[in-house]
Amino acid sequence: MDEKNLREIAALAKLNIKDEEISGMLNDFSRIVSYVDEIKNLDTSSVEDDEIYSLTMHVLRPDITENTLNRDALSKIAPSYENGYVVVPRVIET
Amino acid sequence: MKDLSNLTYTEIKKGLDKGDFSSEEITKSSLNRIELIDPKIKAFLEINSERVLTAAKESDERRKNKSLKSSLDGIPIGIKDNICINGEITSCSSKILANFRSPYDATVISKLKAKGFIFLPRTNMDEFAMGSSTENSAFQTTKNPFDTNRIPGGSSGGSAAAVAAGMVSTSLGSDTGGSIRQPASLCGIWGLKPTYGRVSRYGLVAYASSLDQIGPFGNDIQAVIDVFDTIQGFDLHDQTSAKDKSFDSQKVKLSSWKGVRIGVMKTEETQSSPSVAKRYEALKSQLTKEGAILKELDFSLFKYSIPVYYLIATAECSSNLSRFDGIRYGFRDEGNGKLEDLYVESRSKGFGNEVKRRILLGTFSLSSGYYDAYYGKAQKARVLIQKQYDAFFKEVDCILQPTSPTTAFKVGEKTKDPIQMYLADILTTTVNLAGVPAISCPAGTDESGLPIGMQITTNHFEEEKLLSFATMLNEFPENKITLPNSIS
Repeated sequence: MDEKNLREIAALAKLNIKDEEISGMLNDFSRIVSYVDEIKNLDTSSVEDDEIYSLTMHVLRPDITENTLNRDALSKIAPSYENGYVVVPRVIET
Repeated sequence: MKDLSNLTYTEIKKGLDKGDFSSEEITKSSLNRIELIDPKIKAFLEINSERVLTAAKESDERRKNKSLKSSLDGIPIGIKDNICINGEITSCSSKILANFRSPYDATVISKLKAKGFIFLPRTNMDEFAMGSSTENSAFQTTKNPFDTNRIPGGSSGGSAAAVAAGMVSTSLGSDTGGSIRQPASLCGIWGLKPTYGRVSRYGLVAYASSLDQIGPFGNDIQAVIDVFDTIQGFDLHDQTSAKDKSFDSQKVKLSSWKGVRIGVMKTEETQSSPSVAKRYEALKSQLTKEGAILKELDFSLFKYSIPVYYLIATAECSSNLSRFDGIRYGFRDEGNGKLEDLYVESRSKGFGNEVKRRILLGTFSLSSGYYDAYYGKAQKARVLIQKQYDAFFKEVDCILQPTSPTTAFKVGEKTKDPIQMYLADILTTTVNLAGVPAISCPAGTDESGLPIGMQITTNHFEEEKLLSFATMLNEFPENKITLPNSIS
């Protein structure tokens, strides 16, 4: 793991790591990755791919449209809201 | 005014029932205790006394009119800051949600409301439940009521400390890798992580969805039984909620250890401090004397538990926390005015370091080229751990281990080294990976008077058995812990 890798991962996660934080973060991150590398020593060949999913429950609710939150409630928690819309910066260049 | 602080949950329940005091009196007593000692403990992030007292007066009104919602009407309960209450701030102890006011109630809150509980939001926690000490809170570090130079454990440290310090008799926490059991252990109280699927997570801010469960703390076992009984049950709003699984609190019974098959670890395998190891060893002897059949189980697979847990939990957190983007709710920083910048600036300024570390690790283990070696491998290891528990419960009725390898550590002792902090959960994470229920019970103190906790685990949906064993464990006088009255 080097600075370039870490910055790529941060970009995927939409996080910005400041220059002064990079060496500390890189150090922690490398240690954590080498620690979790321990699982490579575990033999998991007896586990089939589909077993990963068979142990979890999947409960689906009936496909009925229901109102959960109304617009008024949502407008109160949005950082910027106008005329029924959440306002975001311009996304199309003119 | 009567001094009602440090009453047990059962004393509060009976006192209200007999009319010894009103809900307003007991709630005022909670609020006074918070005002008096919380500046030292910092268990609560905020208290709206007026709203809390109004709710208590309404309960007293119902009592007068003989229209009580339940026998639990009027009992105050602390609520962790990641459980949504309509109209209240739910910040997850994070800057990114510092001003977020929830527009709806979590299912557990609706259920507690239906029984008449009085809510005392919001207890401090590690940011987004990521931590084992509450030192990762963006706002304050909660202190252990037994020694304020030490941490209360985490991530539900505020909820645990509030109970241990006599501010409330019960509270709600959430447990992803030990976040209820470890602080319960370090604070000398009871803390239950229910079976995965037992308690709805609708309205719990998600950290790692395949592991998260909500559960109660109590200053006696009855609190845990009653609150769990209230919050459990099927909910359409949580797609992992289990159907047709009943819990009957009447089946929680005190009986004999004779013939009970208990799975144990070799004491040295627990990697515990000498005082915890000594207590574990002594308890094993006591149980044998009582007629229990102890069986040493093979825990060799569990040495992988922390890597497996962190790979799975962080992968899920990187996905779950992608919703905090500064657009629809929460903190927004517009940066240089471009949309991409808004995402990056809002998240980078809103999240603390541990949250960023975990998002990065999760993003890494899910990224192309690493997926099979890390996340995929961890998922397979998880299946092996689940199968191991299945095999254990063919041989034993329950498993007994220390909850935490040490008693409460000092503030700042482990913050420099994330791996040391992660190892605080070495005995608790496998329970979440397998989805089985477990409870931490008080088990005496070390030579400095700091609490020791023991964890009992049973098979899926065996909470009746689990809580019975917890009740029985409390019969040993050596396990009793006196909660601190004065805080220094």
